[in-house]
Amino acid sequence: MENLAILDSLDDLSVNEILDSWSGFCHCTVQLLNGQCFQPEESNFISFVNDLCKYGLDSLVQDHFLLSLKETFKRDGVLIFWQQFDAYHDGALLETDDTHMVLSKALEEICSNKQYLEKCVMMLAHAFHSCDEICFASEVAKTLLARYQSMVSSVLLTTLPSHFPGILCVYFKRKLEQLSRMISEECEDGYNLTGNSESDQRSETSTGASIDEHYEERKFSQKNKLVRNIGMVVRDLRSLGFSSMTEDAYASAIFHLLKDQVHDLAGDDYRTPVLESIKEWIQAVPLQFLYALFAYLGDAVGVDDNVASAVKSPLASCPSFVPGVGLPSEGLIRWQLRLEYFAYETLQDLRISKLFEIIVDYPDSSPAIEDLKQCLEYTGQHSKLVDSFISSLKYRLLTAGASTNDILHQYVSTIKALRTIDPKGVFLEAVGEPIREYLQGRKDTIKCIVTMLTDGAGGNSNGPGNTGDSLLEELNRDAENQENDDCDDDFNPDDKQAWINAERWEPDPVEADPNKGSRNRRKIDILGMMVSIIGSKDQLVNEYRVMLAEKLLNKSDYDIDTEIRTLELLKIHFGEGSMQKCEIMLNDLIDSKRTNTNIKATMSNPSQRGANQGEAGMSLDLLDATIISSNFWPPIQVELLNIPDSVDQLLNDYAKRFHQIKTPRKLLWMKNLGTVRLELEFEDRTMEFTVSPLHAAIIMQFQEQPSWTSKNLAAAIGVPVDTLNRRISFWISKGILVESVGTEVDDHIFTIVDEMAEINKNAVNVGTCEELLVADEEGETCVASVEEQLRKEMTVYEKFILGMLTNFGRMALDRIHNTLKMFCAAEPAYDKSLHQLQSFLSGLVAEEKLELRDGLGQLNPVQLVTSTKFTTISLLSRERTNSLCEDLLGSSGLILWLLRVLFLIRAGCSFTLFI
Amino acid sequence: MTLNGGYPEGQEFQDNAALPAISLPNAKQTPTPAKTVDNQSVLKRLQSELMALMMCGDPGISAFPEGDNIFLWRGTITGSKDTVFEGTVYKLSLSFPTDYPFKAPKVKFETVCFHPNVDLFGNICLDILQDKWSSAYDVRTILLSIQSLLGEPNNDSPLNTHAAALWSNQAEYRKMVEKLYKPPAQ
Repeated sequence: MENLAILDSLDDLSVNEILDSWSGFCHCTVQLLNGQCFQPEESNFISFVNDLCKYGLDSLVQDHFLLSLKETFKRDGVLIFWQQFDAYHDGALLETDDTHMVLSKALEEICSNKQYLEKCVMMLAHAFHSCDEICFASEVAKTLLARYQSMVSSVLLTTLPSHFPGILCVYFKRKLEQLSRMISEECEDGYNLTGNSESDQRSETSTGASIDEHYEERKFSQKNKLVRNIGMVVRDLRSLGFSSMTEDAYASAIFHLLKDQVHDLAGDDYRTPVLESIKEWIQAVPLQFLYALFAYLGDAVGVDDNVASAVKSPLASCPSFVPGVGLPSEGLIRWQLRLEYFAYETLQDLRISKLFEIIVDYPDSSPAIEDLKQCLEYTGQHSKLVDSFISSLKYRLLTAGASTNDILHQYVSTIKALRTIDPKGVFLEAVGEPIREYLQGRKDTIKCIVTMLTDGAGGNSNGPGNTGDSLLEELNRDAENQENDDCDDDFNPDDKQAWINAERWEPDPVEADPNKGSRNRRKIDILGMMVSIIGSKDQLVNEYRVMLAEKLLNKSDYDIDTEIRTLELLKIHFGEGSMQKCEIMLNDLIDSKRTNTNIKATMSNPSQRGANQGEAGMSLDLLDATIISSNFWPPIQVELLNIPDSVDQLLNDYAKRFHQIKTPRKLLWMKNLGTVRLELEFEDRTMEFTVSPLHAAIIMQFQEQPSWTSKNLAAAIGVPVDTLNRRISFWISKGILVESVGTEVDDHIFTIVDEMAEINKNAVNVGTCEELLVADEEGETCVASVEEQLRKEMTVYEKFILGMLTNFGRMALDRIHNTLKMFCAAEPAYDKSLHQLQSFLSGLVAEEKLELRDGLGQLNPVQLVTSTKFTTISLLSRERTNSLCEDLLGSSGLILWLLRVLFLIRAGCSFTLFI
Repeated sequence: MTLNGGYPEGQEFQDNAALPAISLPNAKQTPTPAKTVDNQSVLKRLQSELMALMMCGDPGISAFPEGDNIFLWRGTITGSKDTVFEGTVYKLSLSFPTDYPFKAPKVKFETVCFHPNVDLFGNICLDILQDKWSSAYDVRTILLSIQSLLGEPNNDSPLNTHAAALWSNQAEYRKMVEKLYKPPAQ
């Protein structure tokens, strides 16, 4: 309005004056901005501005001036500035060395350009100043400068090429790397220098010192120069309005560098703790750099203080310190916290992703575990650990390919490792769950655990680690702990102790499963966790008993020290009661030893016996008997066997003598058990073997007759032909016997080989033959395994199950379970768990006796067997069973036929091993 | 007051052929409480019979207590080979009295069975289940008897006269059996 009023009041003269002044002003502006002339025009310029102001056109003047300023800046400064980076557009050249040169040069240019224009602005302000009151003028100068500043940044930002931030990042990264290299060199030098000065302290001081000082100085100045260069770049960038972009760039460069450093230091080496060195590095490189940068820019303290004082972090108050530089600013401390958190997180992620490997070589990798623990304490991302570890477990460990032993070994290591990280066992519980579940599905779990418990010597040749060792150690430690616990108990009632305990209480981590009481997870007990896989300690004890029996029966001497020790340890853990039977077994062996010596001593005295022995050609010295109280041993598999008369005679004598000493007790020989040491004498060689009695009986038959048909031989020894064929392959594999086809298809003739030459001829076959035999031999044990015992018990239940299913068609698992509990009360009463029943039923399903259907009546047998959920069990219809049988017969016939062909090709290989 | 609508109660009962069968246990109800002490021994007997039956593994016969009541069993009989009943499976229900084994259990066919000595409701006419019962018999012998009865009917006292008449023509009889046979639902 005012302007319009002024326009109305204008006369021609004033219009002319305005027009003149305006054109003069425009001309001056162009000249001024082009920097062509400065001094002489200044007064003109001022007068033009004054004239225009007089007519109230000051805002027009400002706008026009700034507009032309903008265009000039855009033309002269910005476009040229960006052009310099065009070369780096595709990122290919980013790695070249001259980036920083280009950047700083370009920045310098554009800044000088900017400064010049700033002077022009100042001049305009000055012009205003001369025509108005002072206070008003200073206001105008301020607004002008602010407008100018925002104009500069808006021009730059609108024309910003997308690759510029990348260039900045690379620039800062390279600079930081350079700095870091310098600092690490410095550290090394420092280290070397101190080393040197120590070693040749007295030889040379003055010159060395001066050189060192000089060197140090140079280094120092180099470093300073570098920081100053960076500082300059940062300052220039800030003045151009790129402050946030700059900060992003150097922050990301620092984090990048830190990440690299962490990866570099941590890497794949789990044997050394790295956390401290990472912290040191943070202090040494990025913080020093930031300190120097802030100090150079001079604004750090001021700017950051404002923010910091507003939100004072409690952490900031504790003085953590950059060495050698005064008090840190709040900003610096924030940086430090940020960097440390980042380092912790990076290291934690790195370790978590490799946790599986770390735990594989656990005792060696404990420093890594310790680091991880600290990181987790800081970051609190335990759940990440649990998730990632479980998934890697599922992917790498809990697969059909992994042996039970390995899984158990890993489980033990996991328990130990996680115990360090989290003494409460909350995460362990989560992680252990899938392993436990998986192990429960494996048949040999119990066996493996027991082996681990007992084989202290680490006898398992196929394990990389001494798994057994660790569990046995655990047993030992457990024993010690219990002793200690006893002592603790005495002190516990003490009020002070109680108070201390109470003070030490900490809440469970948030991830804890509230459904599970915290009580029962207070103490992480490896053995307890192992037993919990099995389900009950009775099963473990039972399995141990079977293994112990096996071991004891195969002993050739009475040395049972290790077994006694193990048993004592187990007794401490599982209680005396449950181990009673095992103890009796060991006592049997000790008694046997005594009785054995006793019998031998009394037998060798009487002269008439001596005569007998002479005839038989065998003395009692050759015989050692193990006398067992069979009620306390697991069921022993008895096979009838005719042993050579001379040995039989010996046994009878021994038994008679035993009866004399220990009336009314009598010996009942189990002739198929034990071991026999044999020496076979041939014309050209003698060979020694330690074999089972059956093997010995077989080979001894060849003493009388060099060649036997399998039927005759089986009859002579008193075993079924199958058994004979299976066992005789041992001698064939050793090259002692050869087999040839007899007159009938089923009959084979075994002949003893007398000469080496023939063995060599057969040697080719031997290797392959033996491989096939191994599996077969392993299946032979003298004690019925736990599974077999269970199966025997279960046959009764099988009949019940079949009975009820015949009458009711289909039943659900728990109904079967309940019905068995209800009606199978007589001897043997049904006492199995639902889980056991389930595995038994799946066995029946696998045998095609039952079928498993879920609601929809699926008939796919493969699915049935693998499915763990029993919905309904029903009898398999008759036709189906028959057809399956036919199928099986058909295929086995085929296999036999194939084997026969093989048999013809390599003579000497028995196809009976298939049976 | 009565829902019978004026008929004397006695008349209604007279129509029911099963009157004596129903009234019999009612009459005996008085001594049963005295025998509850013996209940334990009945249980034991039934349990051991179950065990024996399960372990003997006779082909084609089977029985098992239904639900949680050991006095109520469900039986299965398969028709013997070389009879017209070959390949058929029949369900039975066995209900034991509380004074078993002094009384015979009540046995009925649950599946329809076309047989001279089995009526349309599944009632069986078999001497050992009536007057010839002895405590020496057990579930197994009952089931075996019924199984053999299938192949050798007693045509002198038929419950199903049609079946008795047809029996002489075995081929026709087989057709009839197949026609009426409903395999028990699995």
